Amino acid sequence: MTQLDSRGIVEISDGGVSVELRGETMNLNIGPQHPSTHGVLRLIAEVDGERISKLEPAIGYMHRGKEKLSEVRTYPQITALINRIDWISGFANEVAFIRAIENLMGIEPTPRAQMIRLILTELTRISNHLIFASSYPLELGAATPLMYAMREREHIMDVIESVTGGRFHPNFNRVGGVKPAAGGGKTQKKVTLDLPAGFYAAVENAMDRAEYSCQEFEELVTGNEMIQVRTKDVGVLSYEDAISFGVSGPNARASGVEFDLRKQETGLLPYDDLDFDMVVTYNGDSYDRYLVRMQEIRESIKIVRQAIDSVPSGPLQAKVPRVLKVPAGTTYVRAENPKGEMGYYIVSQGGRIPYRLKIRSASFSNISILSKIAVGQLIPDLVATMGSLDFVLGDVDR
Amino acid sequence: MGVIEKFGTPKPVSWLLNWSRKYSLWMFNFGLACCAIEMMAAAAPRFDMMRFGIIPFPASPRQADLMVVAGTVTDKMAPAVKRLYDQMPDPKYVISMGSCANCGGPYWDSYSVTKGVDQVVPVDVYVPGCPPRPEALMEGIVLLQEKIINEDPQQKWTERDRQPV
Amino acid sequence: MTDSPSDTETTESTLDAYAADFASAVGAESWSTDFDTIHVYITPDQWVEAATYARDEAGLGFFSWLSAVDWAKEVEVGEPVDDVENLEERFEVLCCLSSPVDASAVILSTSLGKDHPSLDTLVPVYSGAAWHERETAEMFGIDFPGHPNLIKLYLPQEFEGHPLRKSFALGARIAKPWPGTVDVEELPSTENVEAGEGSE
Repeated sequence: MTQLDSRGIVEISDGGVSVELRGETMNLNIGPQHPSTHGVLRLIAEVDGERISKLEPAIGYMHRGKEKLSEVRTYPQITALINRIDWISGFANEVAFIRAIENLMGIEPTPRAQMIRLILTELTRISNHLIFASSYPLELGAATPLMYAMREREHIMDVIESVTGGRFHPNFNRVGGVKPAAGGGKTQKKVTLDLPAGFYAAVENAMDRAEYSCQEFEELVTGNEMIQVRTKDVGVLSYEDAISFGVSGPNARASGVEFDLRKQETGLLPYDDLDFDMVVTYNGDSYDRYLVRMQEIRESIKIVRQAIDSVPSGPLQAKVPRVLKVPAGTTYVRAENPKGEMGYYIVSQGGRIPYRLKIRSASFSNISILSKIAVGQLIPDLVATMGSLDFVLGDVDR
Repeated sequence: MGVIEKFGTPKPVSWLLNWSRKYSLWMFNFGLACCAIEMMAAAAPRFDMMRFGIIPFPASPRQADLMVVAGTVTDKMAPAVKRLYDQMPDPKYVISMGSCANCGGPYWDSYSVTKGVDQVVPVDVYVPGCPPRPEALMEGIVLLQEKIINEDPQQKWTERDRQPV
Repeated sequence: MTDSPSDTETTESTLDAYAADFASAVGAESWSTDFDTIHVYITPDQWVEAATYARDEAGLGFFSWLSAVDWAKEVEVGEPVDDVENLEERFEVLCCLSSPVDASAVILSTSLGKDHPSLDTLVPVYSGAAWHERETAEMFGIDFPGHPNLIKLYLPQEFEGHPLRKSFALGARIAKPWPGTVDVEELPSTENVEAGEGSE
């Protein structure tokens, strides 16, 4: 009788005597610099032939010590570092951090600012998922989708840049609101501190482009048989593992975890008033993780279209003290980053700088699962699995 | 072999050599952090740096002439940067892209960040910005091409053992 | 967040009730719900038990994060604690557990002494704790007996010191003080002013 055990090793049992056919294992080092890794991740794999029998991700090649540096920087200075944690979705990182400070200070941001935050967060989510859509087929060996997705992403970047002045490190949130967009400072007598002219039209246009891009991707990638063969039933993540390892975001939702902080954590941003669906699938394989993200682009487009019709008028900033002193206290605020749960635990002593800032980043937990689900896979499947987790090393190492 | 190192080249030959090298740089993209995304954008349709004769994304540093260090170099990563640089064939060039690679940038006081990639490998062009826009990277490349066209091949060929500052 | 006062009270009392229930079930010393964050303070020997209860009984199966805070009287970096005299020097280990179906989340908190801090590992309860504990061990020097592979996660293995301890100084800052403090202009006043006053 021949059967494969969980690690794919052939066991031959003959008359009750089990003989394990096991070749000599070999250690294979992948990375830290490797064309198929997102940044500098190193994987130490123990391979038996072509199968992985043990895998240990070695991280820390992008560890920049942000938590320590936060202890010597004022809150507005930290926002600049926060942008650079998950560098693909800088704006989405800021929101939870600013909401945490507002929570401690008891400041309520203005409704207009909240809606602008929501729109920009969703634009960032689309841009993040487009980057995923461009890099994932590249890892599987298809280079063309990169060009399509990056082209459409530029339109979203244009919108974000027109409002915030930065392409992906906007540093746009202020306590109590958002940065007044078009500034003349003190040199101009009368400045309009608001969204730039033509913003809504530009967003509409970018959404149309993104929707077109989704359609293009469905024709080019989603239905592609080669992509399906490479990703279906590859890297299956179970529901239990997902929650026990703290996997969040689209990765968890692909495994049937019906959890999206946009739905659950109400009050952070005004998602309640908008009509959108949580995207959940139940297979937990790489293909599902890809599908969830592509569907989330469509949902985000839906959200943005509704949101630009309902931006309330009013000031961009609430009243705040000139010198930002955060009262003593401790809070934990989390938000749905494009990659998963992004949270900030702030310990304040009442000064201008935090006593301790713990950053809960999504990718850190998301790739710790790799050592579990990659065992028993072939090496090419490892790349398919790893890519589908959509992590960013800055988010892992911080 | 060895002719250029020994005797040098007459001016027209130098020009021809440099001109042909200038427009066929294979760029090894050492994408480390945020700047890597801008480097990707520079290679993607809107900015399209192949227009300048830059061929991005070779599979290995052994095929590359130019290394763009895009992002934060940490002390843990620095040995790997040096090793990959050593694997590149001569003549080779390095562009340091972004504040982190130039001097440490926002992480100037961190306990784990190398304050500038020039401590590890010699750098030809520094591109400032955090992150630099794709246009800024392309200007850096154009500056490097200007540097290449004015080079003396004999000098470049013989200085391969130079050490970082 | 635009709740009327009565709504806010209801939310707070629900939160309080939830925290009180949880705290009494795990036998906690105390709890708090300041700033909408539930802290449950337990002793180190209740640690694993409380986490098991949270997973099996309270439905908090989602392992969010685990970390620590170094409460120290003397700090090398940042601002010192306000009330230095009454501060008890300790490591506070925190573990955030949340629910995979609704918004409930609890932060377990326990205190460890400064000498040879050690706490039982949570890896058998939550597999995801492995990396978080490695990180905490590396950054604070807290030992987790029973952890399968407690080696450094981020830094090179030969790195000395525990960076997130308050006694760990930043070398670059000692060599060159932060230039930002010298060019900050005098601030006019600290009372509430309308931000972006140019708009009026």
